[in-house]
Amino acid sequence: MNNRLFYILTALGLIVFPFAIHPIGGYPGLATDILILGIGAIGFNLLLGYAGLLSYGQAMFYGVGSYVALLTVTRFFPQVHSIWLALLLAVVFATVMAFVIGAVTVRLYGIYFALLTLAFAQMFFFIVFQWRSLTRGDDGLQGITAPPLSLGPWSLDLTATLPDLNLGPFGNLHDVHYWYPFAAIITFGVLIFVRVLVRSQYGEILAAIRENEERSTFVGFDPKLYKIAAFTIAGMLTGLSGALKGLSQTATAVDSLDIDTSGNFVIFTVVGGVKTLFGPLLGTGIVWYLQNVIGGKTDAWRLIEGLIFVAVIVLLPAGLLGIRQPARLPYDVDRGRGRRSYPSQLPDVVGDEPILVVKSLSRYFGKFAAVSDVNFRVRTGELRAVIGPNGAGKTTFFNVLAGLLGASEGAIYFKGHDITRMPGPQRVALGVAKAFQTANVYPDETVFQNVRLAALARVQGMFRPEFLRASRRLDEVAELAHDALEMLDLASMSEVRVGDLSHGDKKRLDIAVALATQPEILLLDEPVAGMSIEEVQKTDRLMRGLAKRMTVLIIEHDMDLIMGLSDSITVLHQGKVLAEGTPAEIRANRLVQEVYLGGHLQGELPDVKEHKT
Amino acid sequence: MTSAATMAANQNETLLELENVNTFYGDSHILKNLSLRVKRAETVALLGRNGMGKTTALKTIVGWVPPRSGKVLFDGADIAGREMMENARAGLSLVPEDRRIFTNLSVAENLRLAQVTAPRAGWSLTDVYARFPRLEERARNKGDEISGGEKQMLAIARALVQGSKLILLDEPTEGLAPLIVREVESIIRDIKSQGTTILLVEQNFYSALAVADRCYIVDQGTIRYEGTPDELRGNTEVLSRYLHV
Amino acid sequence: MLRREGSIDAIISQLPGTLLDGLIRGLAYVGIALGLTIVFGMLRLVNFAHGAFYIIGAYVGLVVTEHIGLWAGLIAAPIAVALFAIALDYGLLRRFYHRDPTSQILITFGVAIVVQEALRLMFTGTTRSYNVPGWLHGSLNLGFTQYPTYRVVFAIGIVFLVLAVWFFIERTNYGLIVRAGIRDRIMVQLLGGNVRQASTVIFALGGAIAGLVGAAASPIYSVDPNTGFNFLVPSFVVIVIGGLGSFWGAVLGGLLVGELQSLTTLISAPASDIVIYVAMAIVLLVRPSGLLGESDVIRG
Repeated sequence: MNNRLFYILTALGLIVFPFAIHPIGGYPGLATDILILGIGAIGFNLLLGYAGLLSYGQAMFYGVGSYVALLTVTRFFPQVHSIWLALLLAVVFATVMAFVIGAVTVRLYGIYFALLTLAFAQMFFFIVFQWRSLTRGDDGLQGITAPPLSLGPWSLDLTATLPDLNLGPFGNLHDVHYWYPFAAIITFGVLIFVRVLVRSQYGEILAAIRENEERSTFVGFDPKLYKIAAFTIAGMLTGLSGALKGLSQTATAVDSLDIDTSGNFVIFTVVGGVKTLFGPLLGTGIVWYLQNVIGGKTDAWRLIEGLIFVAVIVLLPAGLLGIRQPARLPYDVDRGRGRRSYPSQLPDVVGDEPILVVKSLSRYFGKFAAVSDVNFRVRTGELRAVIGPNGAGKTTFFNVLAGLLGASEGAIYFKGHDITRMPGPQRVALGVAKAFQTANVYPDETVFQNVRLAALARVQGMFRPEFLRASRRLDEVAELAHDALEMLDLASMSEVRVGDLSHGDKKRLDIAVALATQPEILLLDEPVAGMSIEEVQKTDRLMRGLAKRMTVLIIEHDMDLIMGLSDSITVLHQGKVLAEGTPAEIRANRLVQEVYLGGHLQGELPDVKEHKT
Repeated sequence: MTSAATMAANQNETLLELENVNTFYGDSHILKNLSLRVKRAETVALLGRNGMGKTTALKTIVGWVPPRSGKVLFDGADIAGREMMENARAGLSLVPEDRRIFTNLSVAENLRLAQVTAPRAGWSLTDVYARFPRLEERARNKGDEISGGEKQMLAIARALVQGSKLILLDEPTEGLAPLIVREVESIIRDIKSQGTTILLVEQNFYSALAVADRCYIVDQGTIRYEGTPDELRGNTEVLSRYLHV
Repeated sequence: MLRREGSIDAIISQLPGTLLDGLIRGLAYVGIALGLTIVFGMLRLVNFAHGAFYIIGAYVGLVVTEHIGLWAGLIAAPIAVALFAIALDYGLLRRFYHRDPTSQILITFGVAIVVQEALRLMFTGTTRSYNVPGWLHGSLNLGFTQYPTYRVVFAIGIVFLVLAVWFFIERTNYGLIVRAGIRDRIMVQLLGGNVRQASTVIFALGGAIAGLVGAAASPIYSVDPNTGFNFLVPSFVVIVIGGLGSFWGAVLGGLLVGELQSLTTLISAPASDIVIYVAMAIVLLVRPSGLLGESDVIRG
């Protein structure tokens, strides 16, 4: 929906909300609470729905926000009689807290992440509980006079009510405190902010990371930084929520930091619909309504809440977290014109300096050595094939080179840099790109969008805090993407969705994605596996073209292809280097033939009798 | 076309038959109207380059990846899409490409598990240790403490212990040193001589030719060639086109 | 840390009792965590509803004991929980096995809420405790201190329970299928093993153990609907520290956490609540796979 319509509808909704709920037993105070808590839920949704992180500790930001806000009024700056300072301090505090905790926690996943956030929340609970001198511990803070809302000379007591006006079944205007419009305006701002955020470059990349984190890492995005940003923003919003709640009820207690409060945010968001903009508000509304209106009538309200929660999770189609994606901003694409961001020829076609040096590389899985003491040198511009029987360690070797796996022993030098411990995104930035054996692409995107994401990573780097704008330098990105597609002869299929691609086309797309990162060395893992003879020939031509522009390493089984294409060949067997040399040398190598072909000379067929001994 | 009588006779002879099987991985169409037949006590080899669908064919037979259409007839019954567990109990064993030895169990426990889950008696442990003395030496070692060749022996021994009628071998010589390759070929011949039917997938087609009675070549998900090892050896056109030899 | 001699003496005199308390608590944690870790190991299921098993067992034990007797209660509790677990498995959780852990946490969390609230409504949230047979009253002379008889018997009981479960998993044929299934479900099926049945059995067993511990521990820790959740989080702490999916990790972790909590009360009573979270945070940051767990388990 277009922006103006969105703003109008949202504004109308917020205006009407406190009255619309009147016929079902709601009241404006409830509406205020729902909005305030909803802001926290929206923050949580950013984590769960958009970043895919289940945090079980949001209460720490909520509670700290409420305490800091109230303490600002009573203790820190009692002379400043303004609500703005309280809100500001609370939000800043929560944001810094979230950044620090986020930096430490996002390296974990799933249950480990949830438990660590819980652990931190419990620690904050404990601190607040024990620090009686500051927080009054168990008693909490209460009986505070809330400061008014001040803007220059003009000041508004938020607890004052609107003038009297009867609205029939929808209540009376004078039931509404000024807290409601205040909260509503802030909520409106939050909604706009999150909407813009989700459609920004940051939001787009965050969504890509959610869709395929591994691929995103290996086109050059650093997922950790994106997740830390999400965690920080979520903490900021949750802190704001807590501060507003504390100020609006002029009291707070330690239970604002407890596990149930964290649990509440989970429930609000899930019930309302994860990964939607209004879902968290809806969920908060439903649950808060249950608690305060239904709860007044029956003790079973929490049971009902639990049942709704379970029902929502079970009934949601295709998994809880796979709902409608945010609409992408139409990007300004200038396709096909003003090309050339790629050198057509390398400065030195086959230079002398090795671009890649591997020393005594080993990789163990438990006691099993998948790669064992491998030494390997590749010159710039070389096309090197790595061959060997299945299980020889070829893919593991490539994975260690690319950074998917760590090395157990040994070292890797690329262009002189020691990249042995370097994380994936940095290697991609340096110029190491890998195409996967099983095509690893963004399954819900089109061909062009896939390649574009890789190009975006190349152009803008591992992380850019571009929260409010759509991607910039789009021409450059589009050009780079288009070049990659052209090289792989996929330009005609730009708009095809990945799901509609053939197996061979998906593999080519995977290679195109790797190319869009402008690598200096390209690792191809069985690029022609599963292809027909014609496709193989096409790929052969393609690889000759690539070999002119960059260094290429290929794992392959297709001996004809390898023999004709490679400058040199390395043979791996049981994790070790068995032989290395030119295609002619390898062809003549008896040891290689023994191992690869079970002891028979190539081209020579065994005598039947000789074998059935 | 064969007469009805001949076909009826063939039915009893045939232990496994695939009829126009189509298997998909998600949207990828891997097996395209694949048909083949294995007779009782036969050893049939499935050859072809990497990624052509050979492993998928075995997985389809055994129920690991159900076909979208087509028939899989085992001992007369259509088992297409039937569960792995049921097929195993009916006497169908798969020795997978990656062996899949239980690394948290000892060699002896790996064998005992195969005994426990099998509804019929196959080789006894004594028989196994007699034929595979190295496994007896390693009986107490955990699955991740034995060599690649020993893992392959163990994987095959598990199938023997289950007394299966049809053993599917996925690349049994893959990644093994040449000496061990010989041993595996010899074991396969022993299994064959006891009357068990074998369908094996092999990249190393020389190994396959050494043991097979008949060969199929799979390319791009369908059968392109069927013949005996002698016929295949003589057919240089097929060899170069499909196997790149 | 300690400055006054007086408090050192006080601490030392309290030490045996505290260590024993920690042992008892630790053994209770072991009992609960055992089911949790085995279920994770075999089914790859993160079960936030595990605390519900404990509390259902506690209440069933309570009701049956009040009407019939303690032994009946201790038999009825695990059976009732096992039946509940099987129903839950077939009705709901089955489709969440091997799904992403976030969905699993959410659905089991929901189940936990529903169970907790249902029990609260049924038992109107009052804390209850029940009496044990005469011979279990009083205390035993252990040489270096006196200690309540019931707790000593409880401890012995848990030890037997752990050994029995160990025997079942390590020495029986069924346990062989279970262990193989933990490592490679598909291969077990390819060998004709009924992994689905084994999965249900394991899930029911895990629940039954927790239920039995719930019933047996009630005279020590008393029972209210929140108890389930109160024991749930520490049991996750236990298996994280010990290593998710590791049997002995649950044992080691349980004992460590129990003693840690107990000993911390000597220094500062409120600190004992927080120390286990600090311990868990340290483990998660330094060695997420836990003390006895396997690495490469970090990813989800």
